[in-house]
Amino acid sequence: MALQANIGTAGLGTGVVERLAWLRRVTPGTWLVVLILLIMPAFAGDFVLFQVFGWSFILGMIGLSLMFLAGYGGMVSLVQMTVAGCAGYMVAIFGDSAITTISLGWPWYLAIPVAVVIATLFGTLSGALAVRTEGIYTIMITLAIASAFFYFTRQNYVIFNGFSGFNGVLPPALFGVDWRQPTAFYYLTLFWAALGYAIVLYVSRSPFGLALQGVRDNPRRMAALGFNVTAHRIAAYAFASVIAAVGGILLVWSNAQVSPGTAGIGPVIDILVIAVVGGLGRPIGPFIGALIYVLLRTFALDVLVALGLAGERFQLLIGLGFLVIVFWSPDGVLGLWDRLRARAERSRDVFRVNAGRGR
Amino acid sequence: MRVFVERHPIWSLLIGLAVVFALWLIFAVWPPAFLDAFGRKKIFLNALLNGITLGGLYFLVASGFTLIFGLMRNVNLAHGSLYLLGGYVGYEFADLTGYWLLAFPAAFVVVAALGVVLQLAVFRRMEGQDLRQTLVTIGISIVLADLMLWIWGGDFYQIEAPSWLSGPVETFLVSGVKRSSGEAIFLKYPAVRLAIFAASMVVGIAMWLVLNRTRIGMLIRAGVDDRDMLSATGVRIQMIFVLVFAFGAGLAGIGGVVGGTFQSMAPGEDVRFLLASLVVVIVGGMGSIPGAALGALLIGVAEQFGSVYMPTYAVVVTFLIMVLVLAFRPQGLLGRS
Amino acid sequence: MRESVAQRLSAASSDNALELRGVTRTFGALRALDDVTLSVRPGERRAVLGSNGAGKTTLFNCITGDFPLTSGTIRLFGEDVSGFPPHERIRRGLRRTYQISLLFGRLSVVDNVYLACRGVSRGRFSMVRPRHDDVLVEAALNLVEAVHLTDAKDTRVADLSYGQQRQLEIALALAGAPRFILFDEPAAGLSPTERRDLVEILGNLPGHMGFIIIEHDMDVALRVAESVTMMHDGRIFKEGTPAEIEEDPEVQALYLGGGNA
Repeated sequence: MALQANIGTAGLGTGVVERLAWLRRVTPGTWLVVLILLIMPAFAGDFVLFQVFGWSFILGMIGLSLMFLAGYGGMVSLVQMTVAGCAGYMVAIFGDSAITTISLGWPWYLAIPVAVVIATLFGTLSGALAVRTEGIYTIMITLAIASAFFYFTRQNYVIFNGFSGFNGVLPPALFGVDWRQPTAFYYLTLFWAALGYAIVLYVSRSPFGLALQGVRDNPRRMAALGFNVTAHRIAAYAFASVIAAVGGILLVWSNAQVSPGTAGIGPVIDILVIAVVGGLGRPIGPFIGALIYVLLRTFALDVLVALGLAGERFQLLIGLGFLVIVFWSPDGVLGLWDRLRARAERSRDVFRVNAGRGR
Repeated sequence: MRVFVERHPIWSLLIGLAVVFALWLIFAVWPPAFLDAFGRKKIFLNALLNGITLGGLYFLVASGFTLIFGLMRNVNLAHGSLYLLGGYVGYEFADLTGYWLLAFPAAFVVVAALGVVLQLAVFRRMEGQDLRQTLVTIGISIVLADLMLWIWGGDFYQIEAPSWLSGPVETFLVSGVKRSSGEAIFLKYPAVRLAIFAASMVVGIAMWLVLNRTRIGMLIRAGVDDRDMLSATGVRIQMIFVLVFAFGAGLAGIGGVVGGTFQSMAPGEDVRFLLASLVVVIVGGMGSIPGAALGALLIGVAEQFGSVYMPTYAVVVTFLIMVLVLAFRPQGLLGRS
Repeated sequence: MRESVAQRLSAASSDNALELRGVTRTFGALRALDDVTLSVRPGERRAVLGSNGAGKTTLFNCITGDFPLTSGTIRLFGEDVSGFPPHERIRRGLRRTYQISLLFGRLSVVDNVYLACRGVSRGRFSMVRPRHDDVLVEAALNLVEAVHLTDAKDTRVADLSYGQQRQLEIALALAGAPRFILFDEPAAGLSPTERRDLVEILGNLPGHMGFIIIEHDMDVALRVAESVTMMHDGRIFKEGTPAEIEEDPEVQALYLGGGNA
């Protein structure tokens, strides 16, 4: 993709042309998807809006955080779900919840920013610990940090209320809207997911994003070009943590509760599964992965029964599905899609050539 | 070690003082003032011995993990599942035959066999793709965990120690003084735990001997240093990979039998021991067997002391050690920079 | 570690671009560099020659900071950079090319060069995409043209030919107003035409840009250099002009096979 916009139409102010040039690259298929997403509440039921799409957008956001670090930075971090959980806990502790002995009851315009800042700090510090070692250790170190967080929140009753966690964590009734109503929640999560997606897509081609990709491809050369590789990696963790933090707050609101299990080892691994299955190559990947995961989760019972297995064998299904993807399409569904499209184009070209010859 | 003392005189002094203090704590009779401040010596000694024996168990599991990584660059996140499988298999076998000792070879053989299958059928095709291998191990652990849940359910399985090892044994450590006669009271400690710790030391020494004194050990060490060079020498490197993976898996399986005897087997133990292995090798140094031993000892003792003296913050102690090592010596205490 | 501005200014005016004093680098028992002392003036074109294992690449790695020194000091434009990490030395005007091209395979040619321009300027962490008339974008495009890669500017680097990749390697080193460049076997694997191109590019470099070139191809090296340093077994064993070196009997015996046409 060219750095500079294609200045095709002379006469128009180049600033306007350049700013709108990206519109021309959006395919009709994408416009259709955007339209459907915008008018979804008109034909989808409450369950689909809240449980399927709401949850997909949230998990997709947290998966996006992982994809940013892994896909653009070459760092597979398992601490993103923990950062999300941390933000969820902070919003419960600083804001309102049913556990009035711990919750500070700050207004939302203080509690939410503070939660995001603390979670981002946590994610950045975790990154600082993980980036000074060879890439392959990142998974191990971040997994260890994630599990330490899980065990700590489970044992600590003073701040985190231990095993039970916090319930009654609700979004503020801004503009008089109950944001946990299915339609409202759908648009809330759609907004933040779309914003996260757009920002990641934009930043990927900014100096920061390009530098991160350079660090991924050749850290030694980046240092030899004057970049402080460690600083860039840590900055990437900070950026990704903001996205994960927002996702975490939405996650907590969707369940109206947060507990150690929210960021337990299971969910931590699930986010990795989501990002990998969807595809780490482009920001839309984690959202695709999240949708697949959520659909499986929702309809797994029926699928399992149809296969003659007990309904509880959901994890088995997830595990086998994950293995299938890693074996046959390591770059996920996105990779599969890209390869199918390339093959379709090639056969289309062959068809054209043959049709030309046949004349 | 002389080089270390020469290069870091202050650290050596501090470590030396710490060692002397620790020896005094363990072997001397505590004065009453100390007892008031610190609690009963019996609790301290129990925590210490529990920590050391737990460290032995962690070593068994973590050494397999570090060996597999060191040679094949494979972060085997299914290692915890292999541990759990070994425990279940060991339980069934001990239950079936009535002989506790037979549980060990049974667990070793079954889990090692699974290791052979995994290496040949799966990992061999993904050589060089480190991330992909790790992802596969995650998938395998998910599948194995659910299969084991299916077969054995959510109950706790405890492997019974044999009668000739059950009961406490009197150690030479003084835990207190009889107020009436001034006679020393010696600590009584479960025999089975001491026996297992002795066994894990034997395993560790045997591994060290094999790695450093045999030809195949030399090949493995060479492979850990430079895998490409090793295959360039024409050695049947694939066979060594299978051997090492099977052995590492088998160790995890044996660890399972040990854990099943010490504590119990239940879903969730796989995650716990995988994480323990991770922390142990992060602290001790990846690819280093002595590192695994040191790390296991440190973490085991820290965990036990934490749970006795700081129950709500036990996790913090272990985590803090890991963070400090990562911050100041990222390659691990005995790892190569 | 940082000298004052006054110290730096006074040092810079009188000093060499690059000065190594007593530089030693050991790997265990191997002395890859043994007490190397050399200086290069600003704008000077130096060739460092020697057989494999003479320590030439290790020398480069020590100058850029990839390897820490076992002993000795390195001064860059009068400033002691012995303890600086690589990116700090680069920001003081040092650049390097690699024997095996180190490029960003998944990015385009112009992206590669843009990163090189970015690396030594401000805004490395900027999250705002550059406008089409951005100074650095222009600089990148100019550089791409200077190494004759304009037609391929949007191609993924992994898809370039070997010769094109080597050209890009040079472009990365020329980005952002370098003051001193280390060229590590730039002619390796190039065709005769490409070699002539390379000599032309090196010859057309601005006068203030000094460089050291490591080469096995004597032709290229002796044509672009104004002075030569011969290394052997980690030591410098001869220095002089290209003519002197070519005629030196010791050098001939070791490298040029006794007599050169």
